[in-house]
Amino acid sequence: MITQAVSPSVRKSAAVVGVAGLLVLAGCSGAADAEDAPTGDSGASDATASDSGSESSGSGASGEYADGTYTADGSYQTPETVEQISVTLTLEGGVVTDVEITGDPQARETEQYQGQFIDGIDEEVVGVALDDLDVSRVAGSSLTSGGFNAAVEDIKGQAAG
Amino acid sequence: MPTWRFDAIGTLWEIETGDPLGSGERTRVAEIIEGFDRTWSRFRADSLVTQLAGEGGSASVPADADAMLSAYREMFAATRGAVNPLIGESLSTLGYDADYSLRAGEPVPAPAAWDSILTWDEEQLALASATLIDVGALGKGRLVDLVAAALADVDLVVDAGGDILVRGETRIGLEHPFDPSKAIGVATIRDQALCASATNRRAWGDGLHHVLDARTGIPVRTWAATWAFAADAMHADAVATALFFDGGPELADHWGVEWVRMSTDGVAQRSANAPVELFTAGGTTRVRRG
Repeated sequence: MITQAVSPSVRKSAAVVGVAGLLVLAGCSGAADAEDAPTGDSGASDATASDSGSESSGSGASGEYADGTYTADGSYQTPETVEQISVTLTLEGGVVTDVEITGDPQARETEQYQGQFIDGIDEEVVGVALDDLDVSRVAGSSLTSGGFNAAVEDIKGQAAG
Repeated sequence: MPTWRFDAIGTLWEIETGDPLGSGERTRVAEIIEGFDRTWSRFRADSLVTQLAGEGGSASVPADADAMLSAYREMFAATRGAVNPLIGESLSTLGYDADYSLRAGEPVPAPAAWDSILTWDEEQLALASATLIDVGALGKGRLVDLVAAALADVDLVVDAGGDILVRGETRIGLEHPFDPSKAIGVATIRDQALCASATNRRAWGDGLHHVLDARTGIPVRTWAATWAFAADAMHADAVATALFFDGGPELADHWGVEWVRMSTDGVAQRSANAPVELFTAGGTTRVRRG
């Protein structure tokens, strides 16, 4: 994606906000775990913990979180795209010991789209005068009606006055 | 070729035919445009969409509702919600309203769950709450199709301010969005439609123009102009709109529509088989993405 309006720093900060939200959640779960000793009677929970990359959703109402590595995909919106990010958390003893955020989300998503449906190369445009071209008509933005143009002129006049 | 020019639905129309159109054909065209406008124009107090915007409600389903709204459903999915037929309020809020107030308020997104608010079947079109339908993403293209279909099956060009349907062959310049005296390329089209969209003319202030992202209600900034080539003008128009967003190229591929688009920093992209010669700087430049 060619994006000059949304600078990388803006995108990064948006991603950081999303991650901060996740960290807050993770912190809460850690605290809950510390208070309540795990019952430790669930073989299924052990299996989940060792299964790297499994989903942590639907872990029950107890508020307990098994140790392990969890990955979640999140998204947030910019004016033109929905950005995807992937966050991996490692929990040990109910405490977050590692956080990993995968890749530049914008690049990832658009590569996926564009690689498939766009003819590869982006080309820098050079305008050629219409007078020098043999064309019978021109296609661009719609010409606007008198009403719209009059309104724009009116606004300009007010702004100048 | 003789050309009939007139103003309608807020833009300039040109219909080019081998023989001048007779009064019967002109009357038929005028009636088609009037009927469409009376149903779908959010700029008219007496239109169906304006009436429904008052308190919601239902009406006999208009002839073009299913074709257009079904296409919207695909556009909404492909662009992940960026294109939405309930974007009327978002446009009005930014100042692009029935009075052309051109005074921008705080952007408002369109209702994301639009298809639970706006429903239609063979008999009725219903709006569950007071909200403003805007079919601007493809409505003009649909109307061009209707007008062309009403005319005798001879070579012609129907051009509604950049939404163009051609029977026969025509060379068309792709207008540079930042310099209307120039073209960024030339398209040669035969028996198909070319619809263009750009953010430069329907604009009324810094960054304010008529192509909004429905998810935010904010005008787009990455792409400055788009062109799409399809068998009919409605699908070309729809893709020309969708190309302002991620997912547009995917939708074009799905519909078999070719296209070109130019970014606000002057870089063009195209589909593999777009019938276009682009004027680009010597050789090609690969631009780093992301």
